[in-house]
Amino acid sequence: MLLSRAASIPIAIPLVVVTGAGLRVTMDEFQSGEEAVENTIGGNAYQHNKVNQWTSTVVEHCLNQLTKLAKPFKYIVTCVIMQKNGAGLHTASSCFWDNSVDGSCTVRWENKTMYCIVSIFGLGV
Amino acid sequence: FKTAVVKAKINNVLKEELSNMFYNPEEIPYVTKKIAEAIKTRVKECAFDRYKLVVQVVIGEQRGEGVKMAARCFWDADTDNFAQAVYMNESLFCVAAAFGCYYY
Repeated sequence: MLLSRAASIPIAIPLVVVTGAGLRVTMDEFQSGEEAVENTIGGNAYQHNKVNQWTSTVVEHCLNQLTKLAKPFKYIVTCVIMQKNGAGLHTASSCFWDNSVDGSCTVRWENKTMYCIVSIFGLGV
Repeated sequence: FKTAVVKAKINNVLKEELSNMFYNPEEIPYVTKKIAEAIKTRVKECAFDRYKLVVQVVIGEQRGEGVKMAARCFWDADTDNFAQAVYMNESLFCVAAAFGCYYY
């Protein structure tokens, strides 16, 4: 993992975890998620009063872009934003679905002051 | 998908598993996964046929810092729903969300 200490450039370290044989959840969904995060909180530092708004905006943008893909999927998008203070955070998910049509992906993004984790679950209809 | 029933189940699971637990960086990944699986099996017992389930569990160490979690879903509002619960003790916090989507 490459972590640069450049002054004001946010570093996106995308980590894709595409689970299941849900090959229908592809890089498109991942890119939607990543763009949504970049555009919303790209160059900002953690601000407690704005986090509320940021999480909502990230999730809404992400969902909007996913719906534009016009795939026969229902989507669930969750976003966790956490301040960097040295504490640890763990996320796990367990799903009861059809592996051949459903899948998920997770976008992990960080900058100098905060972490952002976006999970996208796609369920086929 | 009955939110209240599922929320009660999630609360029970969280209280049972986490009531005396301290944040321990080695154990926590296993605990997180175990809780996600436990919630999933409990919700399956509620016998929501034809429902696909997604359970997400986030556990973090409590050090007085800010965390915010949001979720949005693109689904059929008449048939799909979700339930969530938060559990906190002195050393950790845990957020669990269970989503149910009807399969036509």
